[in-house]
Amino acid sequence: MFRTAARSLRPQLSASRFSTTGSSRGLKVLAVLYSGGDAAKQEPRLLGTVENELGLRQWLESQGHEFVVTADKEGPESAFAKHLKDADILITTPFHPGYLTPEAFQTAKNLKLAVTAGVGSDHIDLNTAVERKIQVLEVTGSNVTSVAEHVVMNILLLVRNFVPAHEMIERGDWDVSQVARNAFDLEGKVVGTIGAGRIGHRVLQRLVPFNTKELLYYDYNPLPAEAEKAVGARRVETVKDLVSQSDVVTINCPLHEGTRGLINAELLSHFKPGAWLVNTARGAICDKDAVAAALKSGQLRGYAGDVWDKQPAPKDHPWRTMKNPLGGGNGMVPHYSGTTLDAQKRYAEGTKAILENYFKGREQDPANIIVGNGKWATKAYGQR
Amino acid sequence: MKVLAILYRGGEAAQQEPRLLGTVENQLGIRQWLESQGHEFIVSDDKEGPDSDFQKHIVDAEVLITTPFHPGYLTADLIKKAKNLKLCITAGVGSDHIDLNAANEHNITVCEVSGSNVVSVAEHVVMSILLLVRNFVPAHEMIERGDWQVSDIARNAFDLEGKVVGTIGAGRIGYRVLQRLLPFNCKELLYYDYAPLPEEAAKAVGARRVDDLKDFVSQCDVITVNCPLHEGTRGLVNADLLKHFKKGAWLVNTARGAICDKDAVAAALKSGQISGYAGDVWNVQPAPKDHIWRTMKNPLGGGNGMVPHYSGTTLDAQARYAAGTKSILENYIKGQEQEPQNVIVQGGKYATKAYGQR
Repeated sequence: MFRTAARSLRPQLSASRFSTTGSSRGLKVLAVLYSGGDAAKQEPRLLGTVENELGLRQWLESQGHEFVVTADKEGPESAFAKHLKDADILITTPFHPGYLTPEAFQTAKNLKLAVTAGVGSDHIDLNTAVERKIQVLEVTGSNVTSVAEHVVMNILLLVRNFVPAHEMIERGDWDVSQVARNAFDLEGKVVGTIGAGRIGHRVLQRLVPFNTKELLYYDYNPLPAEAEKAVGARRVETVKDLVSQSDVVTINCPLHEGTRGLINAELLSHFKPGAWLVNTARGAICDKDAVAAALKSGQLRGYAGDVWDKQPAPKDHPWRTMKNPLGGGNGMVPHYSGTTLDAQKRYAEGTKAILENYFKGREQDPANIIVGNGKWATKAYGQR
Repeated sequence: MKVLAILYRGGEAAQQEPRLLGTVENQLGIRQWLESQGHEFIVSDDKEGPDSDFQKHIVDAEVLITTPFHPGYLTADLIKKAKNLKLCITAGVGSDHIDLNAANEHNITVCEVSGSNVVSVAEHVVMSILLLVRNFVPAHEMIERGDWQVSDIARNAFDLEGKVVGTIGAGRIGYRVLQRLLPFNCKELLYYDYAPLPEEAAKAVGARRVDDLKDFVSQCDVITVNCPLHEGTRGLVNADLLKHFKKGAWLVNTARGAICDKDAVAAALKSGQISGYAGDVWNVQPAPKDHIWRTMKNPLGGGNGMVPHYSGTTLDAQARYAAGTKSILENYIKGQEQEPQNVIVQGGKYATKAYGQR
């Protein structure tokens, strides 16, 4: 009753402000996080777990808010579905995403704010958020370096044929030629990034001392001239241009209608035969069966990344077991590149800062706003 | 003259992939060139024991070509039997598998193809650092198993950013490692070396030299070994030095296996004193099936990034060291001087300080 009364007293806002004011007492905050089990107890730095709750419980409860945290997110009987009905604020995380579909939105009668603890908010139907005037924020920058490092690691482990080499050692074998036959140096190769935003640019920066033959990028925006010069990257006009010239292709763009299924059978046929593909962006940017087929045929020499069209990935997902003709070329991992212990600290703090701004009626950091009060606040999700 | 080469076997791979030049089958691509000049060329991978091709043919070979990836161990005893031997060429970088002191006693020249795979190895170092710090292997194994448990991986996964990385050795490979680490915004880049980097080079990578080895290791989150194996570095990383590491540090060794005490490293990993160990070099190569470094793990069941010795024999590197081996042979045949950086020992003495500052 107190909450209803409080809400009706809340003043209306002008469209230019991106945060609400008024009473912030007694809100229901729902967080969908991944479970940590024993690990979360033994390792308190696993802040992004259900057990450790982004470190927010005491802070939220001391302000009179209700805080529900769960990993149970699939289906209409899930804790996510049940608590969404009256949640004011939803916190989600890309590593175990609560998929806020248009149907789920319909049940979310009180929802005002969705915060992504991490980077990438495609698991939320952003068009619906715009229509419903629900703000969507993410902790921009919280793990851009983490992911960029993971990209460079993936490029190296694919090009240098690490996985079959390590498997050989575990098996008790030793056959240098079997590994060397498909192992190359990164030096002198052409590397292209689809997306030269915060992550893509950091990838380019990290590649500079490797003396690649060329660094290419495809983006709806050019890099600022100085940034482009500093990394020596060349912008190409079309995605086909990029893939046809690259030995290594790395995807660093968000998932939206314009990028879903971007890497399909048709585009893969334009890749250089034997190219390596890294995707730490979102699984659904690549057609999963087309990628598996391309790897199997050798059109791709390797594929690596930590993102999947659905997470958690099913036990029988083709990307778990797909291999190139020599039995290698698979560098897949669960979605964790942006949730290293270092990154968790940053996005936990960033989530708290966003909530604090919201409670206090302060403006949010513009860089964090994906959907503001009824409109897109960034071009990154489809240049709207 | 008789040229003997000990290379690794390629089998069908060598037939299907002609760029595998460093194989017995593809013979560094020099058979025709040698035979057209009237030289005898014996190539084998059979190197262990008195009945091996290596020991049979060494007795009258004038030139011996070896490779670190499948090394023909030219001991002092074998050198005594090698009556005609004048020149040893390492097809690659690192000639510790040859007893260099004995080579000096017998006035045998030892050359290596300096620079042929320094970039290859530096790349492998950075890859190894990232895969250890970011806990890649357990994550990939989890996917292969059909599982999905993010927290089990994340609990031991870190960013390289903000960590202190130190290299033991800032020579051709060590320096290239520092260059590649620069954009990762490490907290600090340190090095330990008998020689300081030239001032400009040190400044360019922002690396700080540390004089005392124990002091050095105690400051590092990541340690990478990039020095040659000689009497001064054999067993350098032993149980005592490991005690001075920061707890949970990561150790990468792409230099030579014997620089690290194999049991001390395995014990340190098992206890968690180090969080991870990765590299492609082993105290004996090929590594025995039951070598402890194949299966050692940290307390969480990860931390192992071992591979066979191949970082310096990528297809790109093989082209370079095959061409370089040919150049060295050509200089020898024509009586021309070798490129100075390729000469390890000559005329009874060390031509480089890298193998023990002699």
